[in-house]
Amino acid sequence: MEALRKPELIVQPCGFCGGCGHGIIQRLIAESLEELNIADKAINCVDIACCFWTIDGLNLDGIAGPHGRMPAVATGIKATRPDDIVYIHAGDGASYTIGIAELTHICLRDVPVTMIVVNNGVFGMTGGQLSPGTTLVGQKTTSTPRGRDKIANGQPGDFLASLSHHDFEFAARGALYSVPEIAKTKKYIKKGFENQIAKKGFSLIEILSACPTNWNMPPVDANKRVEEEMTKVFPLGIFKDRGGKSNG
Amino acid sequence: MAEQAFIKGNEAIAEAAIRAGCRFYAGYPITPQSEILEYMGAHMAEAGGTFIQGESEVASISMVWGAAAAGNRAMTSSSGPGFDLKQEGLSYLSSCDVPAVVVSMMRYGIGGGDITAGQDSYLQAVKGGGNGDYRLLVLCPNSVQECADLTYGAFDLAEKYRNVVLILGDGAVGQMMQNVNLPPRVEHDINSYDWVIKGKPACAKKNKATNLNWYVGDKAWSEHVYSKLHTMQENEQRWENFMVDDAELVFVAIGVSSRVAKQTVKMARAQGIKLGMVRPITAWPFPRKAFEEVNPDVKGYMVVEMSIIGQMTEDVYGATKYTKPVYKHCTHIDIPIAENLLEAAKDALAGKLKPEVAL
Repeated sequence: MEALRKPELIVQPCGFCGGCGHGIIQRLIAESLEELNIADKAINCVDIACCFWTIDGLNLDGIAGPHGRMPAVATGIKATRPDDIVYIHAGDGASYTIGIAELTHICLRDVPVTMIVVNNGVFGMTGGQLSPGTTLVGQKTTSTPRGRDKIANGQPGDFLASLSHHDFEFAARGALYSVPEIAKTKKYIKKGFENQIAKKGFSLIEILSACPTNWNMPPVDANKRVEEEMTKVFPLGIFKDRGGKSNG
Repeated sequence: MAEQAFIKGNEAIAEAAIRAGCRFYAGYPITPQSEILEYMGAHMAEAGGTFIQGESEVASISMVWGAAAAGNRAMTSSSGPGFDLKQEGLSYLSSCDVPAVVVSMMRYGIGGGDITAGQDSYLQAVKGGGNGDYRLLVLCPNSVQECADLTYGAFDLAEKYRNVVLILGDGAVGQMMQNVNLPPRVEHDINSYDWVIKGKPACAKKNKATNLNWYVGDKAWSEHVYSKLHTMQENEQRWENFMVDDAELVFVAIGVSSRVAKQTVKMARAQGIKLGMVRPITAWPFPRKAFEEVNPDVKGYMVVEMSIIGQMTEDVYGATKYTKPVYKHCTHIDIPIAENLLEAAKDALAGKLKPEVAL
């Protein structure tokens, strides 16, 4: 049996809240880069908000913010350094709300970049407000204290499903509420990096992640909520896998 | 290899950028500067670079930020309300000292305004539209040749200070056609600087392109910003003075207005009226030193500008330490006319005009 070890890429204790999925995701990214032997080629593009902290957590060159623009920023980086491994680590607010134009167009341009979207259904870093694209109807947040009303506050959307209609490389949604789901999520992340190594197109991996702090829940209950409530609106699995040939 | 061409100011900017080694351009169309985008679309690929028509101005400057942080010479361009949308990116570029070249070919008006030439985006350009303590190095061409020359030198200047350089033209300068000498083409090495972000071995020192104060400490960062801005202000003032030694009234103008102002000075001199002109080539830093060359007994200055309020007025008052009256000749949406400007100058010298109060 192989001994567990911390990936070399992780160079400082992560400061995420207890029960938050970001720390697991940071670790899955680090493990994937090391196992694929591409850590020395990787550039970490983090969006502002909680994802930001991996800029210091991982021993990589990194770039951060502006909110929602990281698909555009990564497009400029990849055009400049096509042989580097460029990945984005962003939240659901950045990706599906303020940056939906940038995300849509990186899909349409099929830029050979790997993007990881952490969907916890709230604006975590600013204190747990409504995330217009992902907060579930009825969910209480600091800006919808009586619960999200479908008429007054709109409804969440399955953006991964709708974006999957476009012609790009790979789209999948994983979760972190159990060991098997974490293992599947890691496979998706790795697939996203493998696509980039093979110079295929854009890979989009969404990960359902608990935010116990802003959901006001103990971590175990928060994970249960992901499994029982979020997956009904955001189904897990591979949405598209073009299996295409090299894109350049 | 120098070459001659008969092209528009907008085209000269695009061609000079390519010749300076710019290998990434992203932009969003807006009149009166869309020729820059179109020229890049036609010629960037053959130069081995990347052209992207972005989904917005915001996305375009974000792409430029990424490309520039990765070491590329990168450029975007816009005008009026499109340039408004660039402010987020300009502030971010400034937050981590990433150099890039941005172009604003000013159009007239507030909001949507109009699609023709204007100069009322001056304050936005020189005082900053984004958050935080930053300044852009603002270069103001008034001819097609200067469009080429200033853009060609802009990348070196941006990298020298690790600061964004803004080419601040106007719709008239962008649209007019002239003969231009084009500079030789150079290639830029994306690994020229140690601050770029790229894939690196584990042992190498890593770069983080984000608020640098978090990495160097607030005190060091603050001292750096203060010192950089003051160094640029001291060292980078550029101007053209025309017949200011004995002038009784001196025009201050950039872009298309400075062309009319110069012609007006010549007409006035033929009538024995001593006019002169200070033409800022850098709008930031404002060329305060240019005013030291002006006749100390000058009776006043006159800002000539396509705006309503004379946005440069406060800079002229600042440069002259409020020792002389500053008048304005603002022609709003219209390009100034020399005969009218001469009449205004005569009125000012005759004491018929009230000095402006800077807004």
